[in-house]
Amino acid sequence: MQFISRRKFVVLATTGVAAAPLTSMARTISGGITAQEIIDRIRKNIGVEWKPDTVDTFKAGYPTTVVTGIATTALASLNVLGAAVKAGANMIVTCEPIFYAKTDSPTPPVRRIPGASPSNEPPTAPPPPDPVFMAKAEFLKKHNLVVVRLSDHWRLRKPDPFAQGLAGALEWSTFTSPGDPAHLTIPETSLDALASHVKKLLKPRGGMRIVGDPNLRIRKVGFLPGSTPIQSALQTLPDVDTIIAGEVREWESVEYVRDTVALGGKKSLVLIGRIVSEDPGMQVCAQWLKTIVPEVTSTWVSAGDPYWRPML
Amino acid sequence: MSVLTAGEVVARIKSNLGFPWRTTTYRDTFKFGDPDTVVKGIATTMFCSYDTIRRAAEQGCNMIIPHEDTYWNDPDKIDVVSGDPSYKLKTDFMREHDIVVFRMHDHMHAQRPDFIYVGCARALGLESRYETTPQSHHFVLPETTLEELAATFQKKLGDRALRVVGNPKTKVSRVQLGVGYATPSINNPDVDVVVSGEQQESDGFLDSPAYVLDAMTLGIPKGWIMLGHNISEEQGMLEMAQWIKSFTPEVPIQLVRSEEPFWVAQ
Repeated sequence: MQFISRRKFVVLATTGVAAAPLTSMARTISGGITAQEIIDRIRKNIGVEWKPDTVDTFKAGYPTTVVTGIATTALASLNVLGAAVKAGANMIVTCEPIFYAKTDSPTPPVRRIPGASPSNEPPTAPPPPDPVFMAKAEFLKKHNLVVVRLSDHWRLRKPDPFAQGLAGALEWSTFTSPGDPAHLTIPETSLDALASHVKKLLKPRGGMRIVGDPNLRIRKVGFLPGSTPIQSALQTLPDVDTIIAGEVREWESVEYVRDTVALGGKKSLVLIGRIVSEDPGMQVCAQWLKTIVPEVTSTWVSAGDPYWRPML
Repeated sequence: MSVLTAGEVVARIKSNLGFPWRTTTYRDTFKFGDPDTVVKGIATTMFCSYDTIRRAAEQGCNMIIPHEDTYWNDPDKIDVVSGDPSYKLKTDFMREHDIVVFRMHDHMHAQRPDFIYVGCARALGLESRYETTPQSHHFVLPETTLEELAATFQKKLGDRALRVVGNPKTKVSRVQLGVGYATPSINNPDVDVVVSGEQQESDGFLDSPAYVLDAMTLGIPKGWIMLGHNISEEQGMLEMAQWIKSFTPEVPIQLVRSEEPFWVAQ
């Protein structure tokens, strides 16, 4: 229950009153826990030094909002927000941006010139109002939602929660290396059978793309969740039979694995998509939040695979 | 008997472009071999993969003109990859077969028309009569559904790993074509569907898959079709081969397809 209106909070927050007394006031008034207090606990318990320059900040709502429940997700789409509201959550912890770009601005970035390389062209005029941005901002406001991003720091946590989540989702937790869930030794199988297993358990609708011989025997598996550069593939591939990755640049890791296979290397690459690869890691996040924020429920809302493929 | 060197082929490319060579390019340079190498045949390709080089060599081509990188990173930095056994094997093969590699990327996209777009539109069946204005890469097609449009493209290209975001039943007609990693913004009000090669799924300039998901929830007709980087740019290297042939009659020139790298799990 809130005794101070949102409007009043905004006024207080923008008149130069220090944030700390406000935070404690919110707690005193409602007897609940505020979004800022939850962030403070995350920072204290995550086991990673907080970066001064980070995307892990408030993206919508107010730090002083009293939290009724937390929803974690890889991608806070409108569908995910709807499910979070239904579950009684008003604080969303998302791995990826909510407003479609790293800047996470509630208005669209300056539009790219069609067909032009963005780096070569000067910015055009300010963009017109965008119905998707507007509807999302409206939804957040209507439901008084607080959105924070947790990406930079969650990725640095040890052991890697994204790898931990993937191992769990693939029912391979017992096959992970001690202290390193990104490296696994699984019962021997073929690449083809492994792909079917991954498809059955992670349900990527369209995003699953594979490089390598379907009959290749697989025992050593390396995970590269999220988006990774060529250096990660170069470092991981020599010690494994296959890499299961979220997203890589096609001119980097895909071509590297393709060349390695063509040159006789018994290697392979399974791309499951960035969001699909991060989803289980955010389930781990919900479980962790339960332990550090016992006052409210923490629920994982799966973002699912954005992609599909036409059936011919 | 006069002989044609790789350096001479590059000189002819530069003089036929119609605009000055941009000496600041780090992309459009020799990636392997000596410019003095005598050229027996030329192969254009999209990715300069080992398999492409091998097939080009088998067909008598020792000069490769790829659109993309050779050493799995865009600036083709050797120190990034030189510790990997595949780098040694690939360069050993090129040395043994007297291969010379010269990349054509930045200047190709600066040419008018940009052959990469010409090739992609041709392969997709996006005829010029549907293009709003020449080289806008914006097409107004007879109305169809996102599902039908994606299936049509997939059939035309033989693309295994084409991926789509959006409501399959959404009615669409206005297509903005992008290629490679140059993916146009989906939030343009004049665009129903963006078709392109590759785009990061999130955390970039405008994360279009996420935007399309939300547009779909709101009932705003938007679609997103990713062909794959190779598929989207490969066909334009046929136009590049024909263009080079027009001023290099001495040696055979052909497109050697690097082909789609993926298969998909059934």
